[in-house]
Amino acid sequence: MRDSTHPMTVRNDPRTATLPQQYADLEIENNAQRLPLVLCLDTSHSMLGGPIASLNEALSEWTRELHDDVSLSYSVEVAVLTFGDAGVSAWQGPNLLSPDTRVSPFVPAHRFEPPLLRAAGVTLMAEALELAMQIVAARKTELRQLGLQYYRPQICLVTDGLPTDRTGHPTEAWRRVVPVITAEQRDKRFRLYAIGVGGITDRGEEVLRAFAPAFNARLQGFPFRELLQMMSASANAEQKGAGDEVFEKIFSQFKTQRPAWES
Amino acid sequence: MTGTTGSTGTAGTAGHRILLDGRSVLLSDRPLKSGGEAAVYTVVGDDGVVVKVYRDTPGPQQERRLERMLTMTPLGGRPTDRAQPSELAWPTAQARGADGGFLGYAMQRFGEPDHVRLVGLFTRAQRMRLFPGRVDWRFLLGVGWNLAFMTARMHHEGLVVGDFSSNNVVVDANGFVTFLDCDSIAFTDPATGEYFPCLMQTADYCAPERQKGGPATEAGDDFALAVLVYQLLSVGNHPFGGVPHDSDSQSTVKDNIAASCSYVVQPERVVVPRGVLDPGVLPPELLLLARAAFGPGVADPAARPSAEAWLRALDLERSRVRVCPARPHHTYGSHLQACPWCGRLERTGQDDFNAAPAAAPVAAAAPARAAVPAPAAAAARPHRLRTALLTLVGLVVLLVLLGQLLSHG
Ligand SMILES: Nc1ncnc2c1ncn2[C@@H]1O[C@H](COP(=O)(O)OP(=O)(O)O)[C@@H](O)[C@H]1O
Ligand SMILES: [Zn+2]
Repeated sequence: MRDSTHPMTVRNDPRTATLPQQYADLEIENNAQRLPLVLCLDTSHSMLGGPIASLNEALSEWTRELHDDVSLSYSVEVAVLTFGDAGVSAWQGPNLLSPDTRVSPFVPAHRFEPPLLRAAGVTLMAEALELAMQIVAARKTELRQLGLQYYRPQICLVTDGLPTDRTGHPTEAWRRVVPVITAEQRDKRFRLYAIGVGGITDRGEEVLRAFAPAFNARLQGFPFRELLQMMSASANAEQKGAGDEVFEKIFSQFKTQRPAWES
Repeated sequence: MTGTTGSTGTAGTAGHRILLDGRSVLLSDRPLKSGGEAAVYTVVGDDGVVVKVYRDTPGPQQERRLERMLTMTPLGGRPTDRAQPSELAWPTAQARGADGGFLGYAMQRFGEPDHVRLVGLFTRAQRMRLFPGRVDWRFLLGVGWNLAFMTARMHHEGLVVGDFSSNNVVVDANGFVTFLDCDSIAFTDPATGEYFPCLMQTADYCAPERQKGGPATEAGDDFALAVLVYQLLSVGNHPFGGVPHDSDSQSTVKDNIAASCSYVVQPERVVVPRGVLDPGVLPPELLLLARAAFGPGVADPAARPSAEAWLRALDLERSRVRVCPARPHHTYGSHLQACPWCGRLERTGQDDFNAAPAAAPVAAAAPARAAVPAPAAAAARPHRLRTALLTLVGLVVLLVLLGQLLSHG
């Protein structure tokens, strides 16, 4: 036990100053390979009422399951982004981060508590995805500096509508993100899931297909519970180092919303 | 994912009715756990049994494998001592649909909170929560011994674990281990000579030759065992953790294994997170084995210490463990002069084995016998509950076999 004289390079957290104490310090003992997971959620006006309520409920239930999972709870790190009311928002657990903050929205799963989401406003989907890619890249840099390894991050985009601009008018601006997202996925920088819920239109589905050619779905209703469980199942597969075919199997099972014995 | 066919996914469907060796049972409506290849359900009215249902209709090969497994009783069947769980969650019955189609198999349930996946021992907070008052370094040493014992005997019986990982092994409050996923074990049927390969693997425990697509072998198991024992003895640190200095972007445990880059052997090559223990916490004999496994043994399967070698070294150390006079639940290798956990507490402010920071050493040091850890007694001597004789016989048989191998080889 000669930590100080040992030739290993031991990194201290250069960001301790910018991270709230409760997240930064308690993780000293956890050297597990991390799995960043971004939930990029549509909270625009069309989600008002039942849908947003069932999303909140599903988030609470998923959080409990995540806390109970010995393996995921100390590896997965959750960040929540929402696009709706005030444009695009980043949450650190239940807390809304101010737009100009440098604080990371990622919270270790065992400490994660979901925000209480409400529906209002426009659908800045493209901007939200850009922010998702940005925070994933930033987190990877942080982790590397800390000497921590990471699995391929997962980004889960959930929407019931079409991308709009700040005034709520449909826009074609999302097309500018497609080449970037395509290149990033080709380089295995993250796995993107794009899921349409509620009464999403053909046009809406076209957008999702462009974003996530392998993992897009158009689902009836608002099966948020199944959706979040699918993210956990994929996280398990990622931890196992499974091949693409396993992720596809998990996703198609989710997409058809059928139990195992009916496949 | 049981997913109702409905839309909101709230109310679950009624459980599914299936046949276990012809007997009709009702499964829980939601799976207990859902993995990549299968979902595991409980049986309504029978807490002791779970049923693994494959996601894809299993092929005739898998059905045949199960059929043959049901004729075998590996590791001498059930332990004689009731306090000790089986080391293998071996299939107990075939699961079929109403139409007779093969779905999966039943096995004994090894669920939480009594049985926790090994990974639960690898972080302090989870040790405190899942094994309150039970875990010290001697307990971890005992779990390692049990793992090595299980592996050695499986190899002796021609079984290759294949998909050996901290998620596929569960451990109970006494430190006894059970391997789950038995349907992925590689073996040659002793009766028919049929070979059943292992088609599953877990990247973080996968030796390079298997990463490249090679078959599951005993040497592959020996690699995974070395990683698991190292993690146990270093309170969770993966020997292939850390980010290489020359790495550009992605860096994973898998990459470090492929590049034969372990800080245990070449500390100068990686940046490790703060909080990583000096490998010197391992007693010299064990550190020697670890260095062989994570150095030359990475590229050369023949250079890896066998499960028997691990078993012998772990066994030797069990009788020598030192007890810290200052704080409870602090035990450590006999090669160390001072308690490493007290040292770490002073440096980091965290006690790896006690929930609240224990009293200051000055105050606690007074009556030494009051500080002797009471818990983890059972695991201090793994298999104490099984008769000591049986253990001895097992060991002697192994050593005799090994001796023969050496003299003939
Ligand atoms: N006998 C058992 N008792 C309780 N849980 C089990 C048992 N066997 C397997 N499980 C759990 O069920 C989950 C799914 O199993 P499986 O599909 O084999 O997982 P994977 O595909 O990830 O290896 C696993 O996470 C495992 O922890
Ligand atoms: Zn001590």
